[in-house]
Amino acid sequence: MSTEMLIGAWVATGLSLFMYSFLYKDNPFFKLGEHIYVGVSVGYGLVITYYEVMVKKLYVPMVQQGDWWLILPTLLGLLVLARFIPALAWLSRISFAFIVGIGSGIAIPRVISSLILQQVQGTLKPLVTVGDGGVSWFTFAGLNTLLILVGVVSVLFYFFFSIEHTGVVHRIARVGIYFLMVSFGAAFGYTVMARMSLLIGRFDELIQYASPDYGYATLVLLALVIAGLVLWERGRTSESDNG
Amino acid sequence: MTQSSAELTAMKDFARRMLSLDRRLIFLLIAVVTLLPLLYPFRLPIRVSPEVRKIYDYMESLPEGSVFLLSLDFDPSSKPELYPMSIALLRHAFRKNLKVVGMTLWITGTSMAESVVAGVAQESGKEKGKDYVFLGYGPGGANVIISMGQDLYATFPTDYYGAKTAELPMLKEVRTLRDIQYVISLSAGSPGVETWYVYGKEKYDFELGGGCTAVSAPGLYPLIDTGQINGLLGGLRGAAEYETLVGVAGKATAGMDAQSATHFLIIFLIVACNLFYFLTGQEGRRRG
Amino acid sequence: MIFWKRSFPVLLTFVLGVTFALQYYVPLPASEALLSEVSVWNQIIAGFAVILGVTSLLHVHYTKIRRQEAGWGYSVVLYLSMLSTLLVGLWSGGESENSAFGWLYSYILVALSSTMFSILAFFVASAAYRAFRARSLEATVLLAAAVLVMFGRVPLGEYLVSGVGQISDWIMSVPNTAARRGIIIGISLGGIATSIKIIFGIERAYLGGRD
Repeated sequence: MSTEMLIGAWVATGLSLFMYSFLYKDNPFFKLGEHIYVGVSVGYGLVITYYEVMVKKLYVPMVQQGDWWLILPTLLGLLVLARFIPALAWLSRISFAFIVGIGSGIAIPRVISSLILQQVQGTLKPLVTVGDGGVSWFTFAGLNTLLILVGVVSVLFYFFFSIEHTGVVHRIARVGIYFLMVSFGAAFGYTVMARMSLLIGRFDELIQYASPDYGYATLVLLALVIAGLVLWERGRTSESDNG
Repeated sequence: MTQSSAELTAMKDFARRMLSLDRRLIFLLIAVVTLLPLLYPFRLPIRVSPEVRKIYDYMESLPEGSVFLLSLDFDPSSKPELYPMSIALLRHAFRKNLKVVGMTLWITGTSMAESVVAGVAQESGKEKGKDYVFLGYGPGGANVIISMGQDLYATFPTDYYGAKTAELPMLKEVRTLRDIQYVISLSAGSPGVETWYVYGKEKYDFELGGGCTAVSAPGLYPLIDTGQINGLLGGLRGAAEYETLVGVAGKATAGMDAQSATHFLIIFLIVACNLFYFLTGQEGRRRG
Repeated sequence: MIFWKRSFPVLLTFVLGVTFALQYYVPLPASEALLSEVSVWNQIIAGFAVILGVTSLLHVHYTKIRRQEAGWGYSVVLYLSMLSTLLVGLWSGGESENSAFGWLYSYILVALSSTMFSILAFFVASAAYRAFRARSLEATVLLAAAVLVMFGRVPLGEYLVSGVGQISDWIMSVPNTAARRGIIIGISLGGIATSIKIIFGIERAYLGGRD
């Protein structure tokens, strides 16, 4: 194993344990890790923006391929940054108007087609199946289609706040609530699944770094972080005793 | 006070104490329950769900040399869920001798996306520029997709490594998204699968599949029902199912036992919480 | 001047919004060429927007350091880590393969980012124990669906109760699909209404500022 990998494993383990120390309570180790995280993310984002956007999408086409008209989006991009100069901040509105205007225009027909019409079309399916053997009236697929139809209509009824929820509307909206509850329950189940997966992934790496190949990094650093937390707690206690 | 009423009061007190348990005890339980199956796995079989099988079958049906675009729309925070998915899909694609295009719409995912595409390509003996390309990061989500649908060379004048896309042998016949046979977006949110549908497939007419974190999976089921996406890999479980189909057990399969254990612990916690909640009696419930 | 500050951006939004909404229905070569060009432009502007976001964040921490507010030392750490990554990234030419920049990414950014989000596993468990109570019929339905899905989506659940996986699949593809579809249609209608309000200058919050 290379020295870079070994040092990397120790750094990654130490920083991971700093973050986990938050489970005890908010403390300086966590805060340090948190701020390093934000700093490195920002630095990384700037480097990638420079090479992937400024160099590859701007410099290369403009200078090497002669696409000089890209000076126009560059100017619009620079106007975005005018927001930092109070006297010129209004200039950034031109860029925002450009992005938001085009974005809204592009979105309207596509969203109507993809997320409204196609979803409505998907709800309105035949309830009976016509095959070689004739018409099948009561199939499981037909029941599911009916349930989806009832669910979508009742959920939409529930969302229509402009209609007073009384009588039949109230009853349909109630059905909608139960569909929503099942969906939220499923969403909770899937959220648990997601969060646990992240923990499993992290623990898997920390187990790997606890091996002799990595000099028992996880175990040594875990002991050090615990010792650090004990010292920090003692420091706080004596500070409050003196204070 | 009679003995039975004293017992009842003691029981209610116990239930109340249990409900106000220090949460750090629960944290410890979760840590132990996650750790044990990772150290001592029991390897239960993994059933493949229909939406995962559909993606596998579609990949299988693609003829050799078809162009497959994998958009790795996630960052390191979702790595444990989506990285194993990328490995399984890329292994399958290279085994089928598909031409692979890799890219990302998430800035902080760039290096990770590059390392997985290049890593699996190298492992499969594939050549950069000829069998696969990695386009890098495209800013602006929907705009990148629209732009690729219009002119891929203008969207990415060079690949991640600086080679001119128009001159790459693999991209000779791939000018726009219309020349791509299958796109899969592995997404941790937006931009992701839905963006690829609304701004891509809807107009440029390629087949689209999805992979996502478990958090976003329930929201994508309506798109499976309408055929807007032809299948879905949801979370670590989806990745494990795909690994099962490809026949290479990876990180996702290894994590399934811990996933089982943690789910059972959460179910136990929910049942226990409700049991104690009802034991506290009406008065306690009003307070709680 | 008032025209350029107030009316021009609104007019520009209107013209561009209407043009690009209509462009979808008129896919002639000229209008397609316009869409191609503009989508490239927007990517370049988005690149500058990243700088705007980052600078705003750095400004908050700069103020903290200047005023020596509580925890200003951590803001110094943030600046140092940002500058080190920036320098290392430029020195490595933005290449992450076998470079110091790649090392920073793999062992610092990936480690911190995935750990930060994995902490949520502990809080979701704590929330399940504290807040997930069958207080009403609606809450009971939610709870039952959650338990069934959690049980049915893991190998152990399917091993113990055969067929529970299929029940979980059914919950996802029927009642969940129905409710989510209602939500998608509702959100999309809301989104379109907002877009129309933006195009017609009724909604102007995106322009910011007063004058």
